[in-house]
Amino acid sequence: MFMNTNTRLVSPEFDYLQPKTLAEAFTMLADHGGSAKLLAGGTDLLVQMKMERQQPSHVISLSRVKELAGITEGDVLTIGATTSIRDVSRSGPVIAGYTALQEACNAYSTVSVMLMGTIGGNICNASPAADTAPALLVHDASAVLRSGKATRTVPLRDFFTGPGKTVIQPGEILTAVELPKPAKGTGSAFLKISRVVADISQVCVAVVLVRDGDTITDCRIALGSVGPTPMRMKQAVGALIGKRGTPEAFAAAADIVAKDITPITDVRATEKYRRHVSRIIARDALLTAWQRAAEGAAK
Amino acid sequence: MNKLDSAATGEHNVNFRQIGKARTRTDSPGKVFGKTPYAGDYVMPDMLHARVLRAKVPSARMTRLDVSKARALPGVAAVLTFKDLKIGTVATDIPGQTGFKRRATDQQILVDELVRYQGEPIAIVAAETVEIAQHALSLIEVDLEPVPGVYNVFDAQKPDAPKVFGTDNLVASYKVRKGDVEVGFAAADVIVENTFTTQYIEHAFLEPEVGLGWEDEQGVINIRSSTQAVETFRYIADAMGLPHSKVRIRGALVGGGFGGKCDVTVELYIALLTKATGRPVRLGYSREDSFYGHGKRHPFIINHKTGFTRDGKITASKIDITSESGPYAFMSPYVLMYATEAGPGPYLVDHVHIDSRSIATNNMYTSAFRGFGATQACIAYEQQMDEAAKVLGIDRIELRRRNLLKTGDAIATGFKVQSAVWTEECMDRAMAALGEKPKDKGAIRYGHGLAAYQQGYGRMIWLHDTAEGWVGVEMDGTVLVRSGMTDIGAGQTSSLAQIAGELLGIDMMDITVYNSDSSTTPLAGTSSASRGLYMSGNAVRLAAEAVRDRLAARAAKHFGSTADDVDFANAQVFLKSDPRQTMPFKELVAVCASEGIHRAELAIFRAPFGDWIDPETGQGQVHPDYTYGAHAVQVAVDTETGEVTILKSIGAHDIGQAVNMAAVEGQIEGGVAQGHGYALSEELIYKDGYLVTPSLSEYLCPTSMDSPRIECIVLESRSGLGPFGAKGIGEPGHTPAAPAVANAVADAIGTRVFDFPLTPEKIANAVRKARKAG
Repeated sequence: MFMNTNTRLVSPEFDYLQPKTLAEAFTMLADHGGSAKLLAGGTDLLVQMKMERQQPSHVISLSRVKELAGITEGDVLTIGATTSIRDVSRSGPVIAGYTALQEACNAYSTVSVMLMGTIGGNICNASPAADTAPALLVHDASAVLRSGKATRTVPLRDFFTGPGKTVIQPGEILTAVELPKPAKGTGSAFLKISRVVADISQVCVAVVLVRDGDTITDCRIALGSVGPTPMRMKQAVGALIGKRGTPEAFAAAADIVAKDITPITDVRATEKYRRHVSRIIARDALLTAWQRAAEGAAK
Repeated sequence: MNKLDSAATGEHNVNFRQIGKARTRTDSPGKVFGKTPYAGDYVMPDMLHARVLRAKVPSARMTRLDVSKARALPGVAAVLTFKDLKIGTVATDIPGQTGFKRRATDQQILVDELVRYQGEPIAIVAAETVEIAQHALSLIEVDLEPVPGVYNVFDAQKPDAPKVFGTDNLVASYKVRKGDVEVGFAAADVIVENTFTTQYIEHAFLEPEVGLGWEDEQGVINIRSSTQAVETFRYIADAMGLPHSKVRIRGALVGGGFGGKCDVTVELYIALLTKATGRPVRLGYSREDSFYGHGKRHPFIINHKTGFTRDGKITASKIDITSESGPYAFMSPYVLMYATEAGPGPYLVDHVHIDSRSIATNNMYTSAFRGFGATQACIAYEQQMDEAAKVLGIDRIELRRRNLLKTGDAIATGFKVQSAVWTEECMDRAMAALGEKPKDKGAIRYGHGLAAYQQGYGRMIWLHDTAEGWVGVEMDGTVLVRSGMTDIGAGQTSSLAQIAGELLGIDMMDITVYNSDSSTTPLAGTSSASRGLYMSGNAVRLAAEAVRDRLAARAAKHFGSTADDVDFANAQVFLKSDPRQTMPFKELVAVCASEGIHRAELAIFRAPFGDWIDPETGQGQVHPDYTYGAHAVQVAVDTETGEVTILKSIGAHDIGQAVNMAAVEGQIEGGVAQGHGYALSEELIYKDGYLVTPSLSEYLCPTSMDSPRIECIVLESRSGLGPFGAKGIGEPGHTPAAPAVANAVADAIGTRVFDFPLTPEKIANAVRKARKAG
């Protein structure tokens, strides 16, 4: 066990680059390769650099690459990678159609961190506790990955490969996340348990439900801080689709969630408590999303 | 004279012009506009930057220390180890203006052989830049051979335990014997026994420790630092073998202290490196340095066995108290004394039996923290009262009411309280302010909780505490105050301006206060022990009164009246009997100046002096006086997840007399927020001596988003020993905050978590356990 030193000064032994276009960014990334790191909001990278877990030779700031920021509505909702969490939380289309994501952004932390943190940074950091990840998963988001040569779109469910690990290849930049339009009768919700408001989650859960009358026609459930990556809950979803949306059905699905997750004990919570509250907040999120789906249909 | 037995007399009948009002503090504009320099803002030409190398393990023998590579690094000016010290130890005793012979419990400055806690300093480096200094630390080669340590107070008391302190790990122990506890228990119908535990916590002031030192033309080592106590200059001088007159500590406005800046922190390292290099040296702790670099709040284990008659009268109180001191004494003996004295709380108990001890371990050392042991005592006695009420089937407030101390009653040490004791009024007002408890909704249960308290203010009387203060009037009628008191953010300097302003008829905002300089401002002691206003407020009051008396005498001559008839307000001098007769204050001052009338005064205020309490019986006087009050809290608890939301928090205190009402409310609000964190989320967790919550990412302080609106109810009995009858409020604002939360949570869930902090996990488990049992 060693002392952490994360309010230390960052060692200045790196070059700081500020591309103005994506093309420039790709060139810089190609020139400096594996020893370069992309900087978006810095709320994760700078902490890691202070703790000497990351010691890049070059830090490439994306803050001046205008094409990476902003939210546009088309066939899908495109959220630029460097859009701040705060901007996502206040976006009209997000408020209108992606409640779980909006709630995840609002639960993100203090306003100052919300203003610095970006949606792209939050998922590229690939923390199992990333608040936006479960929400984006249940909204069926995809990651748009570009390199100097090609663009590929990866469903977010295939994006995370381990703690801090993703499918992003050297030379690639996450430029946006894309969210398909919600189906008619969709309701969603995000819940988070943390010791104080401005804290990393002990457990968080996001749910999307699509209802047709009393029947669940589609469902997605994802949790954070309960395994090596943000996790989608296929078993629980299987137990709900096609069923009537009743408190009993949601409670039973939540029981499955609590069994399927693989939490650990750490300084924030024990494995036992994580399982216990996962069940409760999964149940509550399902109930809330179900009610919201009805309200949406009524409009 | 006010009646002391009731607040029902209402508002006091004194017409102050500034005192008691909620005023913008004199230090506020500078802070709001970003102009206030804090200690860390000071830089000097040719300044070096320092860093501290700390032991990574909690218990070890240093078998090798090689700093040659670090010394050879270009840009490094000095690397100091124990071998470079003339004297290896520094005193860890109470600093301040006390005549008390200090204890012989010193701490090693840098590890010479044994590492006794994780983070203990091994070497200090000064270099041209912080980065070079940091790099130099990584070049220091240290071999630490682990030696068996002891990491909890139970193991530490076993005969075969590793010895961390003395021959038995016993840092201090006390006894209180009042009446005959066996007689008391024989008279009891019901005996209630419980054990309560509290955790290590961190002060978490906004501004970590920082300072800048330089040697001046007289060979004086000057240190500008963030401190609660400029009097530590004596300890620094002693530790360096220098005359006291050759070390000077100057404070700045401080970004929070809470007791954590009473001990020597960065100052000694700065002084040593300044002396070694002949250059200015700056040392600023990172947040993590701060976690490892100053003493924490003591964890306590407190057992209460209390006898009650069926109708709820306490017949006997047997209390067993154990605190954890870590490997060095620091303030632990005194903190234990406070906890012992406060043992039964604000209740009249005829038969009291207390045994207390402070035990050394290889966990982090502990020292002063707001409330100084009386806080932990309150956590125990107030939860015990609620548990007893439950057993007895008596309303919690009513049970307290039947046992409250009143003026003239003897506390546990036999001392009879002389000032007002308005605990009952505070309880009733606080509970009334809570209003109705909301109806439970699903898994959400609502709870109300209350905690009353007794907190001494001022130093223990055998420390023979004094404070000096100086007031002077310039030729143009403007006023200066000089006081060695530090200003730790609570408005200390502003209150001095308000006091001098009240007495001299000058608006407080027009008064300049010089403070916190151990060589040029009159020494006043620390800003701790709720003594700042009490001691320095009185010293400045005495000085201002003396100046006022001389000016009034001259004015009386001018008006052809008597000095008694002269009053001062709005920068005018006038006759009370005929307010049309006025003269501008500055004209009076000019007359006095031309006649050589002394327009300045250096005054000393002496607190009551006394002897130690009897070591066998614990009987005698400990504190000059006490503050009383109560906090009430409304919570919502999610019984499934264990999450607690504090909905309302009320602090009701009799503070004797407010000087600045806004500052009083600030103390209460801050104390409440700090108490909420203490009760619910804050905990320094040591696993075998290793800190596993070493930053503000793991150590969780509540933010404004976690805090309810806090309501302050301020009563003024004018019965205290401070200026104009003020009592201390710095610590009291915090003392009952945490147990009030604990009692509200217990009320909500119908069962109790006995060990702090009340994390959601513990609460959820307690609920499940109770449901299984019930």
